[in-house]
Amino acid sequence: MEDIIKRLLKEQLAREAQAKTRRHFIKNCAQGIGGLALSSIFMGCDPLGKPVKKSQVAFSERDLNPLATLAPPFSPKVKSVIYLHMAGAPSQLEMFDYKPALHKLDGQDCPQSLLEGKKFAFIKGTPKLLGPQAEFAQEGESGNWVSNFLPHFKKVIDEVAFLKAVNTDQFNHGPAQLFMHTGSARLGRPSIGSWATYGLGSENQNLPGFVVLTSGGNAPDAGKSVWGSGFLPSVYQGVQCRSKGDPVLYIEDPDGVTRDLKKSTIDAINTINKEEYAKYADPEILARINQYEMAYRMQIAVPEVMNINNEPENIKEMYGVEAGKESFANNCLLARKLVEDGVRFVQLFDWGWDTHGNIREGSVDLGLRNKCREIDRPIAALILDLKQRGLLDETLIVWGGEFGRTPMQENRGNKKMEFLGRDHHGDAFTMWMAGGGIKKGASHGKTDDIGFSGIEGRVSVHDVHATILHLLGFDHEQFTYEFQGRNFRLTDVEGEIIKEILA
Amino acid sequence: MDVLKQLLGRLHPLIVHLPIGFIVLGLLLQWYDRKRMEYGKVIPLVYLWAGVSAVLACITGYLQYLGEGYAFDTVKFHLWSGIATALFAFVMYAKLKGIKATNLLEKVPITGLSGLFLILISFTGHQGGNITHGEDYLVEPLPNSIKSALGFQTFEEKEIALNDENWEDAELYEDVIKAILNNKCVSCHNPKKIKGELLLHSEEGIIKGGENGEVIIANNASESELFSRMNLPMEDDDHMPPEGKTQPSKEEIKLIGAWIDAGHPFKGTIQEIGLKKDLFLSFFPKKHDFDYPDFEITAASQDSIKIIEETGVHIDLISKSSNFLSVSCINKPAFSDSDFESLLPVGQQIARLDLGGTQVTDAIFEKLAMLPNLTILKLDNTSVTGKNIESLKSLEHLKSINLTDSQFEQSHLQSLENFKSLQSVYLYKTKVDSKGVQTLNEGQIIIDYGSYELPIIPSDSIIY
Repeated sequence: MEDIIKRLLKEQLAREAQAKTRRHFIKNCAQGIGGLALSSIFMGCDPLGKPVKKSQVAFSERDLNPLATLAPPFSPKVKSVIYLHMAGAPSQLEMFDYKPALHKLDGQDCPQSLLEGKKFAFIKGTPKLLGPQAEFAQEGESGNWVSNFLPHFKKVIDEVAFLKAVNTDQFNHGPAQLFMHTGSARLGRPSIGSWATYGLGSENQNLPGFVVLTSGGNAPDAGKSVWGSGFLPSVYQGVQCRSKGDPVLYIEDPDGVTRDLKKSTIDAINTINKEEYAKYADPEILARINQYEMAYRMQIAVPEVMNINNEPENIKEMYGVEAGKESFANNCLLARKLVEDGVRFVQLFDWGWDTHGNIREGSVDLGLRNKCREIDRPIAALILDLKQRGLLDETLIVWGGEFGRTPMQENRGNKKMEFLGRDHHGDAFTMWMAGGGIKKGASHGKTDDIGFSGIEGRVSVHDVHATILHLLGFDHEQFTYEFQGRNFRLTDVEGEIIKEILA
Repeated sequence: MDVLKQLLGRLHPLIVHLPIGFIVLGLLLQWYDRKRMEYGKVIPLVYLWAGVSAVLACITGYLQYLGEGYAFDTVKFHLWSGIATALFAFVMYAKLKGIKATNLLEKVPITGLSGLFLILISFTGHQGGNITHGEDYLVEPLPNSIKSALGFQTFEEKEIALNDENWEDAELYEDVIKAILNNKCVSCHNPKKIKGELLLHSEEGIIKGGENGEVIIANNASESELFSRMNLPMEDDDHMPPEGKTQPSKEEIKLIGAWIDAGHPFKGTIQEIGLKKDLFLSFFPKKHDFDYPDFEITAASQDSIKIIEETGVHIDLISKSSNFLSVSCINKPAFSDSDFESLLPVGQQIARLDLGGTQVTDAIFEKLAMLPNLTILKLDNTSVTGKNIESLKSLEHLKSINLTDSQFEQSHLQSLENFKSLQSVYLYKTKVDSKGVQTLNEGQIIIDYGSYELPIIPSDSIIY
């Protein structure tokens, strides 16, 4: 008997020794010594400050409850964000950026000077300019322009602040979407929602802090990385809920499994996982523990929150909800309910905005108009509904695509195309924000006469990010995460807050 | 001869230390010998040498004053006290040697003379130091509070006072650029310090430039050193202001650039010069418009917070820059009137209270009046009718009340009329007539009845 115990003990020690590699040892040493050094440095700087105990970070309370709320460093203007992304890139020239001069130049060759040194996804040779395919009018007290493709939106136009000259350096969907949501066109960075939940946690312990809803029949081209957590712990990645049927699968207990049984099962699994964590300190184990617990709690909260059928008829009508279908309208209503219940970041993707003119759905005069109809009412309803519940002041709504579209008609393969379309264009496009801390009715930035480039108030994707973080109470330059030996920021080394649209 | 004069003059800082050394040595010996009286012969000799070297110091000092172009006003105290010290050394010599020059010298006790001598040498030395290193040399490292307590003029920050109304009429140089230079550059580039032979406190100095020539190239900020050096990376040795000094903000640097690009005018208002408003926005006063009152408060005790949080109520700092708290019952829908008392230990700090969807009733209002700093109150989805809501009138920071989907009644609406800071009341889905009053308190309180509609229009169903 004693022999067996000895053997088992030996085996156990051997396995633990194997698990602790040289790398672990060196890393621990480095952390310990580095931590000591760091604490003495910090003590030296600020005798009143508490020494930074770096080596303890990995075992903090927050690891066991990673979505516990944290106060932002500065006073926030909003508690939640609803980000509406039109995947495929909507045409600013048919929606918000009115260019009468482009009307007059319709059908003429695009000047060579504009084409030199530019890269387009499909345009070849000398394309022709394409006039706006929508009619524009100034609406609201602000007198901002909006097209007749968005007849409901004009009722909320005074709640909104436009950015008319956003630019991006990406001209293909995947990288541009990644850039728009993670601050980098390459994979591996955390999305805005992940940064927000990492920095702030989430109030409602029964719901994820970062929820993603998609519509339009497809996921965004960049895939799930646009709501990924990158190098942040996985627990901060966006939780995609299904837009049709049960929002979360297996939400109901199977026959013969009681809730208590489920609870004790999960408790048992988590106890084992915690032991594993104590041994290997792999943060992914923590993510898994939390996912089990969250999934269990979500079983109660989700059916209630995610069920839009219980909403009153007039609300459903206002949004234009289509019961049982996957739709942007349903997602907007869900977004309101989620924000109302304390979800930190709600990310909506609507697919189908890539209007090249190669097919009817992808034309700027027909297909785009249909897409506009699908979002017009829901967006206006979302803004009004948040407003009447007193939530608009503490929520930020961001609308935009990954880039804009060319003032030229696309001539794929240097041929005239069947439908009217525009190519990808990152030089200048429109985004807007509404909600807490936003200057109502503002319009910042201007494009040239044909809407090709920004000539005033150009802002970058990093600037947009800096502004979102600012409204959540962060200084984008201070909000960092150490990874691979250096501190990373959502805005990399750029970004300035767009003060012109702040109240 | 001039060369010799100048060279000798420059030896002054070296030679002055001889008399200082002798005098201090003499004084120390006097003290050491006060009882034993053994060094009676040595001490006068020391003072003799002190006198001789002091005369040398005076001569070289005078030469330096002539050669280095000091104003007489700057050196006069040092000059006269230096001469006095030299003379006094001989007086001390005479006294100790017992030379009976005057009766007066005999009457004064030796300790008095020694004390006076110490004061004299200290004063002279200090004056000399002030000339070489600047008057604030010793004071500079002290904290501002001590400086002003000692009666020294602390460096005065000039405030840039712009706002939405006056910004166009402000003088660009006088009110803005000068203030920036004053706050960030002049502490080194002033007539007393003249680092790099550059003066930035005056028009003339700015135009004249420094040891490397002009610092402004008209209408060309990127070529102008005044601008380009501020844009260099911090690690660059040429970066200005140097590391460790207060750095100008991005907006300030940008504005200096815009000013140079506009031809660095020293006269003219912002409007006349035609600079854009966005350059100045960051100098406008920041309005305090957050979910908590505009003053500081002591932090709530962590223990009290912990105790409350154990009941399921959620407590958070609104931000790390303030001690005010946000309290939410989002995870505790069972919260009722009787639970309220548990919040009182942090009552002073609660600025935001979310009781939405809880079991509270009208009895809550009287209790809420115990939260003096309450700013945002959410009572949506509760059964309150508004009875006793007037007890909240004493809450002078209360800005917003959310009563959406409650049982709030028409008759209690007027109670809100004289709430001092109240701005928004949300009454969507209540019993109040939405056609009634839209604002209260002369338009300060805006009532949102909600029930917005987006009527069906023909284009809703047109598919292209």
